[in-house]
Amino acid sequence: MKKSRQLAALLMAAAVTAASLQGCAKSGGNGSADTQATSAQADQTKESASDNAPADQAEAKADDKGKEDGDPGELNIYTWAEYVPQDIINRFEEETGIRVNYTNFEANEEMLAKLETSGGGEYDIIIASDYIIKIAADEGLVKEIDKDKVPNYANIDPIFQNFFYDPENTLTVPYGPGIPLIVYDPSVVTAEITGYDSLWDSSLQDSLALMDSERVVMGMTLKTMGKSFNTEDLDVIRAAGDKLMELAPNVRVLSQNQTQDFLLSGEVSAAFLFTSQVVLALSQNPDLQVVYPKEGLGFGVDAAFIPSQAPNSDNAHAFLNFILDGEVGAQVSQQTYYLCPNKASYAFLPEEFQKSLIISTDDVPNGEFIQNVSPEATQLHEELWTEFKAALD
Amino acid sequence: MAKKKRNRWWITVAPLYVFTIFFVALPLLYLLVLSFMTRAQTWGVVNEFTLDNYLRIGKPVYLNTFRESFQLAVLTTISTLLIGYPFGYFMARLSKKAKGRMMLLVVIPFWTSALMRMYGWIIIFRSKGILDKVLMGLGITASPLKLLYSYPAVLVGMVYSLLPFMILSVYSSTDKMDWSLVEAARDLGATKWRAFLTVTLKMTLPGILSGIVLVFIPSMGLFFIADILGGGKVMLVGNLIQNQLQSGRDWPFAAALSVVLMIFTSIMIWIYRRAAGVRELEGLL
Repeated sequence: MKKSRQLAALLMAAAVTAASLQGCAKSGGNGSADTQATSAQADQTKESASDNAPADQAEAKADDKGKEDGDPGELNIYTWAEYVPQDIINRFEEETGIRVNYTNFEANEEMLAKLETSGGGEYDIIIASDYIIKIAADEGLVKEIDKDKVPNYANIDPIFQNFFYDPENTLTVPYGPGIPLIVYDPSVVTAEITGYDSLWDSSLQDSLALMDSERVVMGMTLKTMGKSFNTEDLDVIRAAGDKLMELAPNVRVLSQNQTQDFLLSGEVSAAFLFTSQVVLALSQNPDLQVVYPKEGLGFGVDAAFIPSQAPNSDNAHAFLNFILDGEVGAQVSQQTYYLCPNKASYAFLPEEFQKSLIISTDDVPNGEFIQNVSPEATQLHEELWTEFKAALD
Repeated sequence: MAKKKRNRWWITVAPLYVFTIFFVALPLLYLLVLSFMTRAQTWGVVNEFTLDNYLRIGKPVYLNTFRESFQLAVLTTISTLLIGYPFGYFMARLSKKAKGRMMLLVVIPFWTSALMRMYGWIIIFRSKGILDKVLMGLGITASPLKLLYSYPAVLVGMVYSLLPFMILSVYSSTDKMDWSLVEAARDLGATKWRAFLTVTLKMTLPGILSGIVLVFIPSMGLFFIADILGGGKVMLVGNLIQNQLQSGRDWPFAAALSVVLMIFTSIMIWIYRRAAGVRELEGLL
């Protein structure tokens, strides 16, 4: 009897350990699930990596001979998982001899917290979203780019410059710009969809996928009322919250990642998607309809910057120059499915991407960034969002 | 000789103390201090004492989140008890060989990532998924159901993940039970049912209680199941804390929520200890 008791205790201990391990797996797993880079991108990355490998290696060998004098050192990249395609990293390593250490975060806020703890050091290149770069720059954590070391800086399409987070164009290199759009399946949707407001149509009951992000969904609602994403007027935000509650019956799922899958599998009939998701959805089902919301577009840019105390600043400049190369830039955009911010890359983009990854000049001025708002407004957004979610289940 | 040995005992426990102080006590203290601070304008915290974070939890919208988490935890616990008790009970009555095999089957799911197993449920539940195909094939339903991304789907996921804890606790207490007491009750004329209620149930009560604690407490905090199977639509305290840390950028409020959640779970453990008459926490096993 004593034996069986010991056995039971042991098993329970094992179970508890397993549970705590489960906890680890959870946070780790959640990490990859939360990133914007999708696994579809990863697959794509692997494919093209194997395509390019032989040619690159030959090229690299030729390069290496000239660089035997000193160790070129390391480069620490910090961004979402798989956001910089593996073949691009391999090619950079082969061409320069620099060893790349790739660390990933799951949320912009996590990145900033770590960057702050390290006092702007530890990492050499960070790719993150516009609004968080604004905070990092205000905190003095971003280093000015030495444009003499980045001759390809001139390749950046000026449409993607002069934004609020870098008004003087001294701190960042745009990497993944995007415009979220509505995509729907015309074979099941009966309502006419022209903008955000159409999503409130009662025929879309329980068949909508939206982003799991309060500022995006609240922003959409604010736009239907003719207001800015970034209004700090609490009464306006509250009114938007009331309107959002009316959308609850139509929402089937809230998701940040691979949201296009819900549309492709028929789980939902309309979705509000990031650019990369729009491109992926259309590539798998060309019959889907894309809507540029009539109330006004949202716009966002993921950009690369060098932290103020980057240990390998020269290598970071070399990397920025590398990704700004026309041909490399085209490779990056084709694999991340974000808009191509590099005008030298346009010629290298295959025809099927020419249309989807190059933005028309008229769209950007209409796009509004989601920016940081006052603590009171942020708190109210959070509160209304919690209320909205409670109405969903 | 003996004296020397005694003097050096602290060396063996010192690492444990150091570990506990650095990785448990200090972070908890930090959390507590943080919960009384003020959020900064855009980023970080300011060293300004405030009780606002705790007062804000009293708002109906946040109390509602606690209530929903509590409700889901209670439902999960009741469901695991209803399934887990008979399971553990009959498992303990099996032959020694069969017990070993059963035990292996109960523990095997722990070898796979919890996240993977949740994706398994998605494949079963999704529209035109396995369950839909079976139900439609049998003619029970005519069109695809919308099972996924709902409260019941989250409940199934929670029960599925936490069931082994209930089974194992019930099993261990049933297994070590003295069956001669049940026989005595039967000899004295009690019906099978009555003997079960008065003897077996009482003797396995510690197992039931520890099972309840082991299921209830994690279910208050398991937010990834709500995220995956609830399609982001079910907001539990865990999700709320995560949201406040990230998009809300309100660390002090997130800390206050965590402190309240910890106090709440501590009360649950305290109640358990009173109910089970266990002084030490090892009684959980």
